[in-house]
Amino acid sequence: MTDIKQKDMEEIAIATDVLVIGGGLAGVRTAAEIAGLGYKVVLAEKSAELGGAQPSPGPLFGLGADAQKTVADLVQVVSADTRVDVLTGTRVAAFAGVSGDFTVTLTSGAEVCQKKVGAVVVAAELTPSPLNAAYNLSLSERVVSQSQLDALLSDQAARTGLGGKVVAFLVGFGQEGNPLVMKRVMKSVAALTAIEDCTVYVYVNNIKVAADNLEKLYREGRDQGAIYFKLPEAPQVSPDGSAIVYRDLVVRQDVELNPDLIVVEEALVADAENGQLAELLRVDRDAWNFLQSDNVHRFPIQTNREGIFVVGASRAIQDLPAVWTDAENTALAVKGFLGDGIKRVPTGKAVVDSGKCTFCLTCYRCCPHGAIYWEAASNKAIISPVACQTCGICASECPMDAIQIGGFSDAEIRAEFLGSLAGSAPRIVAFCCQNSAFEAGQMAAQFKMALPAGLQMVKVPCAGKVDLDYILTALAEGADGVLVLTCHEGNCKSERGNTYASWRVEEAQRMLAEAGYEKDRLRFATLASNMGKEFSNLLLDMEARIKELGLSPMKN
Amino acid sequence: MSADPKKVMVIGGGIAGLTAAWELSKCGVAVDLVEKSDHLGGHAIQYCCKATEECRQCGACSVEKMLKNVVEAPNINVHCGVEVGRVARNGRFEVSLQTSGAAAPAASPGCQERYETDPLACAAARKFSKNNAALDCGGAAADLKVDAIVLASGFAPFDATRKGTYNYGKLPNVVTGLELERGVRANGRVLRPSDGKPPAKVAFIQCVGSRDERLGNLWCSHVCCPYALRVSELMKHHDPEVEITVFYMDIQNTGNNFPAFYEKCKQDLQFVRNIPVDVYPMEDDRLRMRYTTEADGSPVDAEFDMVVLSIGIMPGLDNQRMATLLDIGLDADGFFQSSDSFNRTVTNKNGVFLAGTVGGPKTIAASMAHAGQAAYEAMKYLGGAE
Repeated sequence: MTDIKQKDMEEIAIATDVLVIGGGLAGVRTAAEIAGLGYKVVLAEKSAELGGAQPSPGPLFGLGADAQKTVADLVQVVSADTRVDVLTGTRVAAFAGVSGDFTVTLTSGAEVCQKKVGAVVVAAELTPSPLNAAYNLSLSERVVSQSQLDALLSDQAARTGLGGKVVAFLVGFGQEGNPLVMKRVMKSVAALTAIEDCTVYVYVNNIKVAADNLEKLYREGRDQGAIYFKLPEAPQVSPDGSAIVYRDLVVRQDVELNPDLIVVEEALVADAENGQLAELLRVDRDAWNFLQSDNVHRFPIQTNREGIFVVGASRAIQDLPAVWTDAENTALAVKGFLGDGIKRVPTGKAVVDSGKCTFCLTCYRCCPHGAIYWEAASNKAIISPVACQTCGICASECPMDAIQIGGFSDAEIRAEFLGSLAGSAPRIVAFCCQNSAFEAGQMAAQFKMALPAGLQMVKVPCAGKVDLDYILTALAEGADGVLVLTCHEGNCKSERGNTYASWRVEEAQRMLAEAGYEKDRLRFATLASNMGKEFSNLLLDMEARIKELGLSPMKN
Repeated sequence: MSADPKKVMVIGGGIAGLTAAWELSKCGVAVDLVEKSDHLGGHAIQYCCKATEECRQCGACSVEKMLKNVVEAPNINVHCGVEVGRVARNGRFEVSLQTSGAAAPAASPGCQERYETDPLACAAARKFSKNNAALDCGGAAADLKVDAIVLASGFAPFDATRKGTYNYGKLPNVVTGLELERGVRANGRVLRPSDGKPPAKVAFIQCVGSRDERLGNLWCSHVCCPYALRVSELMKHHDPEVEITVFYMDIQNTGNNFPAFYEKCKQDLQFVRNIPVDVYPMEDDRLRMRYTTEADGSPVDAEFDMVVLSIGIMPGLDNQRMATLLDIGLDADGFFQSSDSFNRTVTNKNGVFLAGTVGGPKTIAASMAHAGQAAYEAMKYLGGAE
């Protein structure tokens, strides 16, 4: 860290209570761990009881009776823990504040209460959704969903009634599926093959076995007599479910099966209320309504906001061991974030000049980390030094230039590239995101890969900090070429810094073209931190193009 | 506590070991990180970025970042080129480290050449560390006293010569997935080994060493479908004309976005549900394979410029010795056994925790999460050291 300038530190007191939203297995387990570290926990569950009552999580995770008892014990432990304030039948109605200082409004029927918390954990559950419509089937006595089969199998009389029956599963045609969907099928297959004279067929596309012990479970099912047909397309099923016609790939002809029971697969989907919660908490969602963007910087349990964490089914379709992993990673992160309630942060991470601020709230809207708020009394934007990640997107977007980022002020960045423009030609200024392209550039330099002689790398905290003004100034003051090098789409630590950068480059290219200059003098590209060779290739290509264009006619 | 601070030994400097060490270090726990090869980063540091214009979430860049975190952390002592020779429990764990014989030369001259020919050693050669004097790559023996152990010794890639009919090691253009990625790290794209030119027609054979009853390997390696599909898409991004065929049993998912990604793959690549048995040499170092079509079972002969064997994750070669040293169990497959069906980091030995692929195949993201959990368990075991 020697390259970061030593700054003064300030101490900020934060709240240390933790709100856990969701009292299913993931929420209960996470609450227990966080309380075990000595923090007070508010555990808010929307249903009437803890433990994930609907649907029963046992079959969902393929848990046996022993495991279900472990889970029940955990619910008891949490309920008895005086550090955990269990609020059932409770929902989040409003949410305000910044990391370390959140105010949450909870409602339970007509009752309303407010809590101050430093951190929040979202522990949503998965919802099974039957896919019978994908097979043009209606659920009936003969056609059941996976959840309905789980219920049958947990009933002794119904279970015995399956003796002598032919059961057919349809899985992997209504959805691509995943190991947890597959595990539910395989667990049922094991239970069914143990019933006397019960014959089991599984019609499946891709068998998802990328999870601990699933391949063995699959082979055990086959050893016990279950027959798997792997088909590229769904078999033909009669509307009443009495006949399945499929192409047998071994004998190469159509075969008809008349099952007594058809089990259709279920999708496991994100909680329908995730969208509402995302709006309230201002956390990003992925395309599938999970509360985490599909970004490696967030894995496993981080969100775009400091101090807000997601476990288990809040972020992905996961089996129970993975939920436990999330719970413990969250406890570790909560401890790291809250500590003893005093945050030590550098002073001047991001400073708003209140004289320039016109309270337009551009910064509030563009901050990807929810770090900006305002005080009603002064009508000025305030940037929380606890929540701020110093990406600088706000500073570059601010129409009044009222925000400066510590270590990356306009003056500091300009000095860095202006100082280099007297060097050997062609002079190439590369604005490099410190998380990706700058690391790639360092790698290229350390490995003595070929780089242009006139290259000046300018480290920026995020490409979102590259002002239109920097680009134009660099070109006007003598750069023959300028690159803005950023993370790949979906890999930006500040989610959208690369997008802002690409917009500004497009805008600058448009301006260059209008002024009659070659827009090839300006290039936008994406790189990862481990792409040393690609950095070298890209810069050499840029240098070659600049040599074709000749030195810049723009200087003065 | 200040007189004798709590200390954890992390065995293995791959992504799981690095993550465990870093998480412990952030909690104020001192760490001795022991790595038997001459570099940190394990297998994952050799993987390439598979992003096209968009990130594919392979996690390879996370390894670079974690490596840098670790070598800059003042409370992590890194010992490379050593292995654990003896462990005794006398209240604390008393550990003897012995040279593994893999130590790098003291200086690493010719860094550039090494990167081009041997990116494997580049992590050590780079020596990120500016303020951590304890980065010892010299393979020096040492005695340690530690309070807990995180075992993160990783996996062994499947030895592709065991599938003799693929002629790996004999035909230059039959490569493993690992070699393919190392090639992209060094060259910035996929090149055919025999002539250094971009291949026009490439085959991936999935499940090499995994899900193989004859070898007794009854597990899926989790990572091979993801890396094969991601590198395939990267190759299509570099050269839309390249023809890629993926021979598979069942395609496994990459992550939350898999359904959308797989749809794109199905447009760009040819998928054949059949695993060819033989790879035959042809003129110009080309390769021929025979397979049957899924639709009607008819045999097809196809030629390729390059065949990639998607080798899987096998138990570490040293697992039996480590299990004996630490007195913990292996499962039927030879991976380390956890003693709890929910918490897969704990073992039957108090104070010994598992992190990453020692417990079975995992992606980079899953290894990192597992390692965070192991670090948390170790910290709890130490009584929340500050």
